[in-house]
Amino acid sequence: MEQIVKNPADGASAYNFAYLDEQTKRMIRRALLKAVAIPGYQVPFAGREMPMPYGWGTGGVQVTAAVIGPNDTLKVIDQGADDTTNAVSIRQFFAKTAKVATTEKTAEASIIQTRHRIPEKELREDQVLVYQVPIPEPLRFLEPRETETRKMHALEEYGLMHVKLYEDIARHGHIATTYAYPVMVDDRYVMDPSPTPKFDNPKMNDMAALQLFGAGREKRIYALPPYTKVKSLDFEDHPFEVQTWEDECGMCGARDSYLDEVILDDKGNRMFVCSDTDYCAERQEAGHRGPQHHDQPLGTSKREEAAE
Amino acid sequence: MTATPQTSDLLPGFDHAAFDSNAVFRVLLDAMSRPGRIYDLPVQTVSPDGLNATATATLLAMTDMDTTIWLSPTCATKAASDHLKFHCGCPITTDVTQADFAVARIEDDLSFVTDLAVGNAEYPDQSATLILIVEKIENGPAMTLSGPGIKDTHSLAIKDLPQSFHAWRAENHHLFPCGVDVIFASPTQIAALSRTTRIEVN
Repeated sequence: MEQIVKNPADGASAYNFAYLDEQTKRMIRRALLKAVAIPGYQVPFAGREMPMPYGWGTGGVQVTAAVIGPNDTLKVIDQGADDTTNAVSIRQFFAKTAKVATTEKTAEASIIQTRHRIPEKELREDQVLVYQVPIPEPLRFLEPRETETRKMHALEEYGLMHVKLYEDIARHGHIATTYAYPVMVDDRYVMDPSPTPKFDNPKMNDMAALQLFGAGREKRIYALPPYTKVKSLDFEDHPFEVQTWEDECGMCGARDSYLDEVILDDKGNRMFVCSDTDYCAERQEAGHRGPQHHDQPLGTSKREEAAE
Repeated sequence: MTATPQTSDLLPGFDHAAFDSNAVFRVLLDAMSRPGRIYDLPVQTVSPDGLNATATATLLAMTDMDTTIWLSPTCATKAASDHLKFHCGCPITTDVTQADFAVARIEDDLSFVTDLAVGNAEYPDQSATLILIVEKIENGPAMTLSGPGIKDTHSLAIKDLPQSFHAWRAENHHLFPCGVDVIFASPTQIAALSRTTRIEVN
C-alpha cells in the first residue's frame, strides 16, 4: 500500500520521496541489509532505469535514494570534486526529489555519494559513504562468465587474481595496478573497491563510517560495515604501496592528499592540485598556501626558485 | 452485488509510508552494520496481537509481496496475519523453510531455527532473517561480540536468551558466508546479530 506523500517536493509532486517508489526502495533496502551481513559479497538487486545514463552513477543514486531521509545532508563528489557535472547533477536531483539539504563540506554531510574517491578528511560513525561502481566484479576481466566468477567467489578461488598481480611484476617490475586495486574483505571475499585510486585503499580498512557500493548497470550492491578488515592484495616481497608525489598541492601546499596533475601550457609547465576540493578549500581558508595560489607573489614560487 | 469491506478491526500502518519506513530502515541498517549496538525504534506504531511495535515496524518497513513471512504459533494470531496481509501484502507461510523473514518470541520453542534458509555458497544472500521478539535488550556483559562492524568488542544482553541459541549461532557462524541474521525486537528497541558476529558467552 502506498500513501500519498504529504510533503511533495516542489515542482516534482508526481514523484515519490527520493524519486523511487516505496516497493523499489524496500527491495534495495533488503539487498543492503544482506550486503552488510556478508561484507564484500555482491548482492544482486533489481536495478531500475534512472533518469540518467548508465555510467553516471545510477547504482549509487539508487542506493542513496533507498538510504536518504528528510533529515539527511547530502554531499556528492566526482573524482574528489563537488563542482563537476556529475556531482552537481546528482546533488540537484536529490535536492529536487527529496528536498534534502546539500553541502560541499565533508564534515557536515550525513551521506556522501562518491565517484572514484574517498574524502581526505577522516569519516565519522554517523556518516555513510555511497560509491558509484561501474564494474563490481573484480574477476570480470580475468573470467567473463558470471557463472564462473560466482563459483570462484563461492570456493574462495582467488589464485587467478594473484597471477594477474604477479604478471604485473614480471612485466613492469612492480604491481602496475593503480586504481580499482583489488582488496580482501574480512579474510573472505575479494572485492573491487570501485575505480578509486589505490591511494584510497588504506582508508577503507577499519573505517568508522558505513560504506555502501551500488552498480546500476550490473545490478549489484555490496557493502563494508564499519571497522571491517580490508586488505589490499600483495606479495611478501612486493608489499602494497600507495602513490606518492614529489610535488605539493599548488593551491594549498598539501603533501598528504591525492594530487591531480594539471597541464598549464604547451611548454611543459604543470601543477598539481588536491583532487579533494573541500579538503583543499578548507586548508586554504586555514591559511595554507601552495606556490601557485593566486595571492602568492608571482615569480617567487619554490618551483621556480628550484629551477634557477 | 458489492462486497462490504471488513476494515473496522484493522489497525493503521505507518503514518507516513516513505518517511517512517525510511527511519525504521536506517535503524535496521545501523543495527545490522554495528552488531550488538542498541537503537531506539524511531517511529510510533500500533501493533496487532501477537507482535510488538518494533517487530511490526520492521515488517512494515521491509516486507511486501516479494517476501514470505513465517510467524511462530504464538505470533500467528489472526490480527497479526490480517495486519501484515493488508499493509504489506506479503504471503504468510506455515513452512518455515520458505521464510524470508521469520518472527518468533524468545520464550517460544526455537528448534525451528535450524530449518531456516541459509542461502547457498554462490548466493548466500538467499537466506532468512529471524526477528526475535524479546522483552529487554541491554548493554550487559552476557555476550561479548566481535567481528565486522564492531570496534574491538561489544557487549549485549538479551533477557531470557536460551543456551540453545548460542549453540545455533556458533553453528551458524561456521556456515559463513551462508547463515541467518537475527534482529532482536524489544517493545521499544532494536539490536541485530549479523552472521559474521562472533559471540563469546560469559
